[in-house]
Amino acid sequence: MNYVTYFASTETATVKPDLFTSIGVDWKFLILQTIAFLILLWFLKKYIYPPLIKMLDKRDEMIEESVKAAHDAEKNAAEAEARTTKIMKDARKQADEMLASAKSEASQIIDATDKKSRERAEQIVADAEAEIRRDIDLARKSLRAETISLVAEATEKVVRISVDSKVDKKVVESAIKEAEA
Amino acid sequence: MIPVFAATSPHISVKAEEVMNVAGVSITNSHMLGIMGLIVLVWLMLCTVAAVKGTKKHNFVTRLLVWAFEGLYNTVLQVIPDQKWAKRVAPLTITIFFFVIAQYYLGLLPFVGPVYTLPERIPLFRGGVADLNMTFSLAIITIVAAQVYAIKYLGLRGNLGRYLYNPLKDPIMTFVGILEMIAEMSRLLGLSFRLFGNVLAGEVLLIMIAYLTQFVSPLALQPFYLFELFIGGIQAYIFFMLSTVFISLGMEHHGGDDEKTHDDLHPKPAELIVASEG
Repeated sequence: MNYVTYFASTETATVKPDLFTSIGVDWKFLILQTIAFLILLWFLKKYIYPPLIKMLDKRDEMIEESVKAAHDAEKNAAEAEARTTKIMKDARKQADEMLASAKSEASQIIDATDKKSRERAEQIVADAEAEIRRDIDLARKSLRAETISLVAEATEKVVRISVDSKVDKKVVESAIKEAEA
Repeated sequence: MIPVFAATSPHISVKAEEVMNVAGVSITNSHMLGIMGLIVLVWLMLCTVAAVKGTKKHNFVTRLLVWAFEGLYNTVLQVIPDQKWAKRVAPLTITIFFFVIAQYYLGLLPFVGPVYTLPERIPLFRGGVADLNMTFSLAIITIVAAQVYAIKYLGLRGNLGRYLYNPLKDPIMTFVGILEMIAEMSRLLGLSFRLFGNVLAGEVLLIMIAYLTQFVSPLALQPFYLFELFIGGIQAYIFFMLSTVFISLGMEHHGGDDEKTHDDLHPKPAELIVASEG
């Protein structure tokens, strides 16, 4: 029965002040200490936490920014590399093209020059041949003319002698002399 | 023999005792250490802010406080889904953490206990949170704040809707609502008695170990001091976490009945914590 009354007294303790005072709850202190804590809360909230929160926010922002910057830098680097590769590829292609065209042009020029020089050489040879032929003809012609005149002269002379047997020694001598001259 | 023992026996008292009376206002031994705790906490906080602002150099304590603040702040932001409200709640629960841990650690100092008033042999100092008035007021502040935030967030009707259901429409939820109301009261008692009991038990443990080991106590107390430092951090964190969760509970019921039944199917982490704590 004792237990029952004991339990009964603790059950209704929230109404009776006995239990609370026996374990040290004093409403005056309770209120005063609550106020003390609220003052502390007010002080910390007003003067301590804002700078701390600001610092944390700033740091988060900075981290975010630097992450973004790193990301951007990476992207830029990748882009730059892609661009470089493209430029190099283009340049190589262009160089190849230029080389190929230069080669074909050079071979064309060489071909053309070759042809021209061959033609020229042929022309020169032909010209020379023609001239030689002309010279020969000319020489032949003049020789023939000379020979004819010589023959005519000699014939005349022979004829004259044969015709005129009375050709004196003096005439023959002069003819010889003339011929010698 | 008996009177000698009586004289040297450890002084263990459940409640804080009056050590002086200033103009009719009695000051208890827990107030003495409580005021010291407040001064130390505010001073450390001012040092930390000065270090953060760059006017002073950081040292171990300021770094530790900044680290703790950051961790607690991020925890609050994670527990309360609405970031705007989380930022409003954070100062209260973080202050509770720092207050509790400062008071708890000061209660471990060696002059707490052996320094006493002469005629009555009442210890001059007592841990600030080893006073049920203090832990009770912290719990009241938490529960009242939870209600205030819930009313601000859900409105008066919305907040009442957490507890009061139409018995004709939904008799089961009516009963659950009554249980919720009882749960609020039990949270009040749970918060205050848990912290008070831990602090008191810690102090009694230290006193008993010191009394039992006598001259070996400087060595023998070391593991218990470490243990108490650990428990102090844990208790402060538990109080912080529970108050954050209690406040966040008032900000979760936002939708219609569908969401409520959904919530009931999956118990919230807060309730799991409370269940495991109990």
